[in-house]
Amino acid sequence: MKLKRDQGVEIVSDPDRVEASLWRRLRFEGNERCRETLFTRYMPLARALAAKYLKAQQTRSIERGDLDQFAFEGLLQSLDRFNPLKGVPFSAFARPRISGNITDGMARMSDMTAQLGHMRRSRRERLVSLQAAEISGDALDQLADLAFDLAIGIMLDDTGIVESADGADNRVNVYEGLAWRQAQAALTEEISSLPENEGAVIQHHYQNGLNFATIAELLRLTRGRISQLHRSAIERLRRRLRHFQER
Amino acid sequence: MLCADQDLADVMQAVQNETGDELLRLDRLIQQYREDPRLHFLRGSILAGIGRPIEALSSFREAVKLAPDFAIARFQLGFFLLTSGEAAEALSVWGPIALLPDGHYLRLFVGGLTHLIRDEFPETIAQLEAGIASNQDNPPLNRDMHLIIGRVRQIESAGPVAGSADSSMSATSLLLGQLTGSGRLH
Repeated sequence: MKLKRDQGVEIVSDPDRVEASLWRRLRFEGNERCRETLFTRYMPLARALAAKYLKAQQTRSIERGDLDQFAFEGLLQSLDRFNPLKGVPFSAFARPRISGNITDGMARMSDMTAQLGHMRRSRRERLVSLQAAEISGDALDQLADLAFDLAIGIMLDDTGIVESADGADNRVNVYEGLAWRQAQAALTEEISSLPENEGAVIQHHYQNGLNFATIAELLRLTRGRISQLHRSAIERLRRRLRHFQER
Repeated sequence: MLCADQDLADVMQAVQNETGDELLRLDRLIQQYREDPRLHFLRGSILAGIGRPIEALSSFREAVKLAPDFAIARFQLGFFLLTSGEAAEALSVWGPIALLPDGHYLRLFVGGLTHLIRDEFPETIAQLEAGIASNQDNPPLNRDMHLIIGRVRQIESAGPVAGSADSSMSATSLLLGQLTGSGRLH
């Protein structure tokens, strides 16, 4: 039977020390990547608190994606304020802050914004990012490219980038066409070879459901830069998957 | 300047008796003898044992910085990094352990753990067992290595089962008894 990779290191890893190591490298050794790792590690906590809020609000129409974004904002703020030397577990420190941010965020949100909905805003954000590409060449080709880029986005939504948090493979879905599934599989392969920041944007946006503003905050980049990285990643994926486009 | 052996023995006794003021006493000694690597190593061990890993690592590093040939401290610093998920850093810290003579238990343990990092399990077991056989100085370390061997055997027989270290393993390895024995590089 094939063994899982890095199992040797796993069996001697102590979860508390691994986490302490992330905090140490982030706070005292300036390793910003650890912030992202810690964020990903505590995303389930943020999501769980968003779900709890949603369950408690039975009268108002709220989109889950919005709650998640507020929870993620609260998580980011907690990451930046936490002192790992104080002996308090991060989850205990972050929990009230995340919940507070969800409550504040919902209070700030206007009805109109709420109606627009998280998913629609997210898709619009992607479209704006992709349309920002330099206009040149044949208009029909550009349209075809844009359509293909959007299709990549839909595929990414569907793949969950191969694995969801529970490890289930979500690739087989309503789009049962062989070509679609082959393209999805190829796409999954290609994502792992994207440049680091582009891969991070794709992972956080499509797999983790973060909007561009939250990713910008997480990676300490501007929102415009995240949009550029998104476009660049999708274009790179399109070039690598061109044979599917030409079928 | 190094502190008197009796002072060190007194603090170690306080640690064993869990008097509650052991860290305070140790810190006082460190203020007096800042360049004694044994004190920093002991401090690292205590902090690791009470769940203050960030400060523990800092103390271990200080011990190795003050005495690069303090082999047991170097081994434990690497082991601490490995258990913190920093395998590459652990290997780097362990580098000078290769200067110990052939058959030295620390060299064999490092060899075994290096195989472990690479998921080379039969070689891991062989090297760790050889290390245990040649280690007469440091029984707590042998217990740790036995625990690792047990885990490796479990994985080998059960296939891909995720798991993390038994907490008793890393705790015992860092506790007392480490300051004695032939832990110096040659």
